Amino acid sequence: MPNEILRVEDLHTYFFTEAGVVKAVDGVSFVLNAKEPLGLVGESGSGKSVTAQSILGIVPRPGKVLAGKVVLEGDDLLQKKQSEMRKLRGRKIGVVFQDPNSSLNPLFSIGTQLTDVIKIHFQLTKEQAYDKAVGLLKLVRISEPDARMRQYPHELSGGMRQRVAIARALAGEPEILIADEPTTNLDVTIQAQVLELLKTLQSELDMSLIMITHDMGIIAEMTRKVVVLYAGRVAESASTAAIFESPKHPYTSALLRAVPRLDKRRTLTSIPGNIPNLIEPPSGCRYHPRCAYMTDVCAEKVPPLESLEGGRQVSCHHWKELTLEKELAS
Amino acid sequence: MFGYLFAPYPARSFACLYQGCTNLPPFVNWAHPLGTENSGIDVYSEILHGAPNDLYVGIVATAISVVIGIVVGALAGFRKGASGALLLGITQMFLVLPVLVIILLFARIFILAVASGLGLTLIMLILAFFGWPTIALVARGEILRIRELEFVQASKALGASNSRILFRHIVPNMLSPIIVLASLLVAGNILTEVVISFLGFGDPNTSTWGLLLEEGFGYIRTEWWVSLFPGLAVVFCVLGFNLLGDGLSDALNPRLRE
Repeated sequence: MPNEILRVEDLHTYFFTEAGVVKAVDGVSFVLNAKEPLGLVGESGSGKSVTAQSILGIVPRPGKVLAGKVVLEGDDLLQKKQSEMRKLRGRKIGVVFQDPNSSLNPLFSIGTQLTDVIKIHFQLTKEQAYDKAVGLLKLVRISEPDARMRQYPHELSGGMRQRVAIARALAGEPEILIADEPTTNLDVTIQAQVLELLKTLQSELDMSLIMITHDMGIIAEMTRKVVVLYAGRVAESASTAAIFESPKHPYTSALLRAVPRLDKRRTLTSIPGNIPNLIEPPSGCRYHPRCAYMTDVCAEKVPPLESLEGGRQVSCHHWKELTLEKELAS
Repeated sequence: MFGYLFAPYPARSFACLYQGCTNLPPFVNWAHPLGTENSGIDVYSEILHGAPNDLYVGIVATAISVVIGIVVGALAGFRKGASGALLLGITQMFLVLPVLVIILLFARIFILAVASGLGLTLIMLILAFFGWPTIALVARGEILRIRELEFVQASKALGASNSRILFRHIVPNMLSPIIVLASLLVAGNILTEVVISFLGFGDPNTSTWGLLLEEGFGYIRTEWWVSLFPGLAVVFCVLGFNLLGDGLSDALNPRLRE
């Protein structure tokens, strides 16, 4: 039985904007196992990134975590003081962001930026910190690390910068690495390399990984468990194999049908409509206006998140009646 | 700046009057390379004596303005809501005031102070007091821009403290436009000082380029050199500060460093 390292319980994060209250995360729960890669998947605006920010306690204003628990090794992070959280950030949980072009400070050399983070978390001399930074660059497979230490972000390619960002996230030797769409802004060939690197690092360093993405291909490649988010709620969560084999939520099935396949000839179907306005989300099941299997009850009642065998969870009124296509297999 | 130590004659000295060297044109007598004016003041000496005074007004006033501007701009940028909006409002109010008129008014009100030799400091303080709004606006804009950048988020997410984020990430990245602006402000302050002196609102006992310019202006048809050379000094000085600002902002940008 895998050990649980992080548990998110009924998390609510709202943004109090002038236009109204944006319910970005509205009751998200999931469990992250130690040394295991987990995927958070959903469209833009489904609450993936805000969930990550809530875990770290860095939700930007005017956002606020209203309710829920984020339990790391028995402690609720949401009850901790800022100063305590600061010691956890980077040390227990590392983060890699989406855009390598802006996630490094343009004014300082790679070496300075890495040793800066190292010095936050460890009491080391200059030389020790330098050696550790070089070690990190080697870890993320950067050639000529000594020369790179003196270079500035603009002198590196996008893929290289993202490797540096990964090295920086690993500087505090975290047990959990959150990768927030780490490959979205990279070229396709570089994407594959960076994903490969993250995968190797995860197993090499025995870390837990939270992979945030909208790409089902990355989920299949990288993760063992998936949480599918829709409009700030969990639609379905299960092992990656089970999700691809037999999706239980109509949204998951629709997401899978939107992925192109090389080995099967079939038409790609897009999901009709857009992600709903989160200021006034649809009543009942939030997916119902776009759902092909919608009935009256969907618009009236919020479907509970039901637990199935194998640690599987689904939030749909009709999951028992539906036999959704095994989209990728059929 | 320290040229005045080597000036052949003391400041506002009428020594040449007794030597009979008044109204000398430039480049004729090498004891007075830039000529003398009609009461015998040596133009070359006077320009050298004016330099530290003009630079004092320009640089110190700018330094004060930059400090006020950054503090106000930072507060306005970080405080959302009423206090931020109020600061922004005050800044914009200062921006639309007719500064020159107010300075002239102040100079007249404090005429006693002007006469007792504090005139230059007074003008400097007034310039400082009215110079900060542009700096504050730019500082606020930069802070709003930079704090949304991913590397600020990233350093916060990796455990950096607020002061580290501020001094390591935000301040260095906002410095470049502020340095350029400050160098323009130095030039602008020197020009304003010249204008004040030229209009006769300055301190008649302190050597400045503006004062000399004004003294020569009455005789410009016969003694053009008395006004021309301090005018040239102003032009070169202002140009120099503009170039300095450009150079500094390039030097601080690693993209342009090689």
